Amino acid sequence: MRQRIDIDRVDFAVDEHIWGHRLYDEQLPHLTVLEFFGVLGSNLDSPLVATPSDKVRYRPQHQIRLRGLLFNNPFVEAIRERSITDDEKWREWSSLFVQDATKLGDEDTGYLRSAFSSFDDFAKAIELLRSSAFEARSNKRWSSKFVFPFGPDALFEDLRIDSSGASNDRRFFARTGELLYLMLSRAARGPELGAQLSQRLFNRAAPMNRLVRALQGEPQLASNSRDVGHLPHATHPRFDQLCEDWLAILSRDMPIYDALEHLIASAGLNLLLYFLEQAKAQAGDAEPVEFVCEIVSKERTKVRALSGDSYQVNQGLSVKAVRASIEQARLLPEWQAASTSDYPDAERASIMRGLFQWPSADADNEADYTRMSGDKLIETLVDMAISRHEQHVGKIHASWSRAIGLSSRRLARRTRYAPNDRLIKTLVVAIVDDKMQFDEFLAEAKRRYGLVIGDAEGSRLVADKKVDQEVLSENRANLEARLVGLGLVRRLSDSCSFVENPFGFKGEGNC
Amino acid sequence: MTEQNAIANEPGAPPSSAWVRFLRTYGPTPNNLTMFDEYVAGAVGRAKVQPIALSTPMLEPMKAHVASGRPGSVLIAGTAGDGKTYHCRSLWTSLGGDPRAWAAKGNIKEHRLADGRLAVFIKDLSEFNGEESDAPLARLEKSVLGGDDSEIVILAANHGQVLDRLRDLGRRQGRSHPLRKPLQEFFLQAGQEPDRLAVFDLSRSVGRMALEEVVAAVAKHAEWKNCDRCTLKLDGKVCPIYENRQRLLGIGDGAQLGRRLGDLVEIARLNGQHLPVRDLLALCANMILGHRDAKDGLMSCAEVAWIQEQGAVDRASVYGNAFGANLPKRRLADRPVFKAMAAFGIGEETTNGADGLLVYGKDDVELAPAFARLIGSDPVYGATPRLLSAQDNYLEGEEAARIDGGAAGFMGLLQEQRRRLFFTLPAGEAGYPFWSMTVFRFAGEYLEMRAALIEKKAIAEAVRGRLVRGLNRVMTGLLIDNVDRIFVASSGGFTQSRVSVLCDTEASSRRLNGVGMAVKLEAKTGRPCLDVSLAQGAGNAVAFDLTPVRFEFLSRVAEGALPGSFSNECLEDMLAFKAKLLRKAELIRGRSRQEEGEEAGADSGTLTLNFIDIEQGGHGFSRPITVRTSE
Repeated sequence: MRQRIDIDRVDFAVDEHIWGHRLYDEQLPHLTVLEFFGVLGSNLDSPLVATPSDKVRYRPQHQIRLRGLLFNNPFVEAIRERSITDDEKWREWSSLFVQDATKLGDEDTGYLRSAFSSFDDFAKAIELLRSSAFEARSNKRWSSKFVFPFGPDALFEDLRIDSSGASNDRRFFARTGELLYLMLSRAARGPELGAQLSQRLFNRAAPMNRLVRALQGEPQLASNSRDVGHLPHATHPRFDQLCEDWLAILSRDMPIYDALEHLIASAGLNLLLYFLEQAKAQAGDAEPVEFVCEIVSKERTKVRALSGDSYQVNQGLSVKAVRASIEQARLLPEWQAASTSDYPDAERASIMRGLFQWPSADADNEADYTRMSGDKLIETLVDMAISRHEQHVGKIHASWSRAIGLSSRRLARRTRYAPNDRLIKTLVVAIVDDKMQFDEFLAEAKRRYGLVIGDAEGSRLVADKKVDQEVLSENRANLEARLVGLGLVRRLSDSCSFVENPFGFKGEGNC
Repeated sequence: MTEQNAIANEPGAPPSSAWVRFLRTYGPTPNNLTMFDEYVAGAVGRAKVQPIALSTPMLEPMKAHVASGRPGSVLIAGTAGDGKTYHCRSLWTSLGGDPRAWAAKGNIKEHRLADGRLAVFIKDLSEFNGEESDAPLARLEKSVLGGDDSEIVILAANHGQVLDRLRDLGRRQGRSHPLRKPLQEFFLQAGQEPDRLAVFDLSRSVGRMALEEVVAAVAKHAEWKNCDRCTLKLDGKVCPIYENRQRLLGIGDGAQLGRRLGDLVEIARLNGQHLPVRDLLALCANMILGHRDAKDGLMSCAEVAWIQEQGAVDRASVYGNAFGANLPKRRLADRPVFKAMAAFGIGEETTNGADGLLVYGKDDVELAPAFARLIGSDPVYGATPRLLSAQDNYLEGEEAARIDGGAAGFMGLLQEQRRRLFFTLPAGEAGYPFWSMTVFRFAGEYLEMRAALIEKKAIAEAVRGRLVRGLNRVMTGLLIDNVDRIFVASSGGFTQSRVSVLCDTEASSRRLNGVGMAVKLEAKTGRPCLDVSLAQGAGNAVAFDLTPVRFEFLSRVAEGALPGSFSNECLEDMLAFKAKLLRKAELIRGRSRQEEGEEAGADSGTLTLNFIDIEQGGHGFSRPITVRTSE
């Protein structure tokens, strides 16, 4: 077994050694990417340049003034509409805003008055920024809402802000973005990607970034730098795929702010695949991950049931991996050797501690683990680990696949894979350089992401008599029709169509 | 001829029976074999009629190509039904090939040309199974890329097939086949044909002209002469077959029916739908022979007398047949041509005016003259006894009309009448514009605009204005009315956002000194395109291919009403266009910043954001907001 790193502040480490510390279900892909940008923003001198043994550190921004103005400032609209003088508007608003201020550098609003010619202009700017913010209208706490990442000044970390001050409670920024940073820096072309991202997205002179800066003023940073989480693999084909996808998306002929949507969806899809692939590898399953996708159409097809089954199988993978990773302790030579030692139970407890940071070396008043047999220890840890796993990590497949538009319950009682238009668009943008024959596109989607849509990709299902070939070719035709509807496919003649990336190179100047 | 018919026709049968039976096999029957060139010769022989002769528009260029002695080979590409085999066979015969050799078994035919080259005809790539096509493709490659001038390969194939075969062959050989990429580019109209391979793409030529030719070939066919001696149209009787043929021929309406049908085919083609000649033949045969109660929906002469007795002549309406009203839904779905025709929504679409006329016209004092002129004048398919009595029942509030679905019969007749109106309303009829009977209400203007561009004339100002207004509304998500300039707007964040209030760049709605919008004709597609240039010089423009659907979308948005049916596709296209304009603006700005260099730093203390505001009356203008920034 590989050298294990101690994970801080956990009762035991199981999930952490399979996937890293940590992937978290509530940190949806867009929050992951935002956290990632925070790490990148602290490392602009060598973006995505880090060997697996390097310690990556970063110091996130807090931007209390900016986020307060946008998300903890309900008065602007009402005051703008009142027919009082500009002076009075500023005064009224200031006094209201300051009452609710956090007193973390947001007590003084005078600088805003000199930045904006009138209160109405200020109100308009606020409205504009809110219109593009993430989850501006959700009922999340205001300190968990985010400005669109226009540039370096628009980035800040998720916080809990209360009377005792601002603290990082890892509610929505739970280190998944840190892991994303590590993954990309361990990809072969990581540094190339880092250079492009820092050049295109960290442009201080971008107009919208300057507007954000006018509201925020000098950046407000967290009090300390911190280490990023732990990622168990030095290299991984999935990291490379993710990096390639991002580079492909950035190379398209579209504004960087539009590319972001695709970066987020692509990160979500590849992270989901990493999660499932790791689970399979841990459980000793060598088959590649597959998502059998139903392309929703007017008519109900048999693919729906199949796709629901595929979803269920994948949903069960991570629990299997947790169990397998613990039970594998039995196969270690030292575990066998312990049976001949004087104190086999204590010996095995110590092996377990080395592997999983459990049972704790300190006296535990709930149970005396030193008296437990090795098998009992494994059984106990499996129960504990699975019950902890099911709270968050075990929900990753469900929550991320829904967030990126891969799974859905539309028109059905069961959740199944039924990709939505946005995900399909991202796939085209990531896969197709310029144009590609439709069947090649499907083959590539299968190769990269395990997406099974047509009869060629699902030939194994057909051979196993799980579905008729005809049903899958109908599914494939439904996708073709959807792509036509999205303006992404051109039909040449019967049975010959091309997927076209509207932002490809050759399309230059033409759509 | 008469003798032949005497043989083919059973004794006592109407004089055109054999011909009609032959034509019937061209129609959308459940198993239409005549659709294949391979079958035609036999069918003609059995029916003892003259075959339907269509010109082979590409044959002359093909012959010229072979005669020129230019080295290399020929590819005849097209969709099923475009006439690949037909062209191939015609070329074979015209080069002196023996028709019997052609008809014999075997998929590869060879013929020594006068100039010494061996012409190798490969009739159909799809006839080969799997790797069987490797050898002929190798022969093609040897001729095109290997510099072998001893052979000229003439290959007929469907686009997809030739690309797939080349790919599979390449894979087996562990390379990417050198002919594949250039052919793909050429098919997609993105590149030139390969040097030594002349490609004749039959799918590009099918439009109005092809339809006119098919209509003429069917409706003017010599065999119709036999109808002159037919008793089924004597004594005031109407033979629906003959009637439909006369109408398709254009007798009585100055060929308006054919023109309108041509408009539809043209619009479908410009929307990227491909209608093979085989389908156009099926359409024409169906228009003439369609009847809702006939066997398989297609009449034979023997059924006419019975139809006349039943008083069901109106159920053969040529106008309904154009949309396959005589066919069951399932059979419609098999045929691209009827799918394309259905996409126009003719029959469902209507205006208050047209429906008012159809429902109340007969009895309303004001409407009566128009009713008499537009509907009453046609007792065969217009004001038929069936329609008039259904109308009376409906208006008199007969019991059945009040319950749900009770008026379904009348509604069906209305649908039929709306279809008739589309074809029969005179152009420019005040109050009843015929394009309003379709989903494409602005198609007439689209065709006019395209015609103007082809003739290098200016396009109508009203049309340009409407396009610009539509563009602005899509770009900004605001209900603005500007027609003089185009706002390239952003939301700050994603281009996808519904409302974009920040004006990124403005462009004049007409091209001046290389900047602004020009409406051009794109030579490759034959369609108009909107070409918006954001700065002087090449490479600073983004073009938007203006299909009829997109034109309709923009026009409807400009008029303030947007049907949900076809909007999603167009909206996606428009947003991609907008994103490209924003990207272009970003690149131009980046470049000018670099050129200005130092100077740009001078005003770094202020930031100007142009918000789009709307004045009373819907006029949008950009209002700058200045923000002082400390950096």
